Amino acid sequence: MNRIILPLLFLAFIVGGVSEKSHAQCKQQVVYQCATNIDKAIYLRDFNTKLRKGKRGHSSGTKWAVVLNKGTHYRFTLCTQGGFENNVILTLFDAKHPEATRPYQVTKYTGNRKSSNRFDFICNKSGTYYLSIRFKKGKESKKSCAVGILSFVGKNK
Amino acid sequence: MIKNIFLILLTGLFIISYVSCGDGNTDEPNFDDIPEDIPEAVQQIDENAINEILESFSSPVEMAALIEDLGAPFSKRYLASPDVASDYDTNFKKAIGLGVLSADLGYLNVYAKTGEIVNYLSVIKRLADELNIGQFFDFQTLKRLATNNDNMDSLMFLSTNSFRQMDEHLRKNNRSNLSALVVTGVWMEGLYLATQIAIDDPSKALRDRIGEQKMILTDLFKILEVYQGQDKNFEKLVQDFKEMNKVYEPVLITFVEGETITKEIDGITVVMQQDESLVEMSDEQLSEIILIIEKIRNKLISL
Repeated sequence: MNRIILPLLFLAFIVGGVSEKSHAQCKQQVVYQCATNIDKAIYLRDFNTKLRKGKRGHSSGTKWAVVLNKGTHYRFTLCTQGGFENNVILTLFDAKHPEATRPYQVTKYTGNRKSSNRFDFICNKSGTYYLSIRFKKGKESKKSCAVGILSFVGKNK
Repeated sequence: MIKNIFLILLTGLFIISYVSCGDGNTDEPNFDDIPEDIPEAVQQIDENAINEILESFSSPVEMAALIEDLGAPFSKRYLASPDVASDYDTNFKKAIGLGVLSADLGYLNVYAKTGEIVNYLSVIKRLADELNIGQFFDFQTLKRLATNNDNMDSLMFLSTNSFRQMDEHLRKNNRSNLSALVVTGVWMEGLYLATQIAIDDPSKALRDRIGEQKMILTDLFKILEVYQGQDKNFEKLVQDFKEMNKVYEPVLITFVEGETITKEIDGITVVMQQDESLVEMSDEQLSEIILIIEKIRNKLISL
């Protein structure tokens, strides 16, 4: 009997592992709630990532490239799993404004529903920018997920 | 015992590959013109860089959002016909068509023209199914939202998000060649809308946006060149892009440095960038761009 059960358990473990990995990003429901909580801005895209405490103090997270256009007022909003609001940050940067030293902006948790974990960026130079979502230093946790939303507030008049 | 374990592991690997790669579509794919898998030689030309560039391009809604924000009135005559797109019979055309119609759907969404949206949704769904990415396009929910006409935010979110999921699936499954075509379709249609509106209302904001597309054109051209050996349609597209490049060549983009200002406005942190990109483009250059974009876009959407 063990000859069948043990390999099957092993198999279930592998398949389970794959399924868990594929669902490690935030679920679409979280993305939807975050994307529709942007006031009157228009949803452009989302940045969904799993977060895990890395080895040797390195924090996991993801970096994305995004083209932004001059004269446009953008909004960046960060949503996390419950309880992680003050543990995760979204950073906007480029080559001239490096992530570690002087990024354009980093989200801050204020506790206020309207302003917490969001900022607006009035772009004046078209080009490629970068956005990262990571654990805040010293707030690394075992496992979580987070979503960043980029939305269009309007033309900067 | 070892033989049994080996057989079970083999079955397991089969199941895993099914779980990981299955896209839920049981229709036979139409492997007609473009190889589904990118040849190894192409992959070696830093596919990660290609994917990062493709992913970075703006959403199918952004150009439409700018146009609406500038106060341009809605016009159906700018849009590609969904009837023609339903007859596309090659993967090349289907991928380009998916991009073009997704940009048009963004335009309809921004102007809340729900009456027209269902036709576009149907054809996008069909093209997506035929490219084996239809599982990311929840047609029934989108149709219900469009018909009820009461939740534009949800409709906007679901259609834009579905587009990004389809595109991401292509890139993650070694089909970046098709993703490049979808992105090209979105970009061409957005630029076509902007140039058509600029004929009647060449505002500075729109002119600048059209001129700045030189940067995207340069990146997209480099990517399309990678795939030009795959198929004669790609080859023709690269020729078209060469022509566009030539027209865009005299457009001058310069950069001025400045210190970023951060303020709090109505409780929200607002970052005002002071670096600036400046576009120099004459009326003649704009006219030439309008003509070339119209010519290539119409060629791409025809049968």
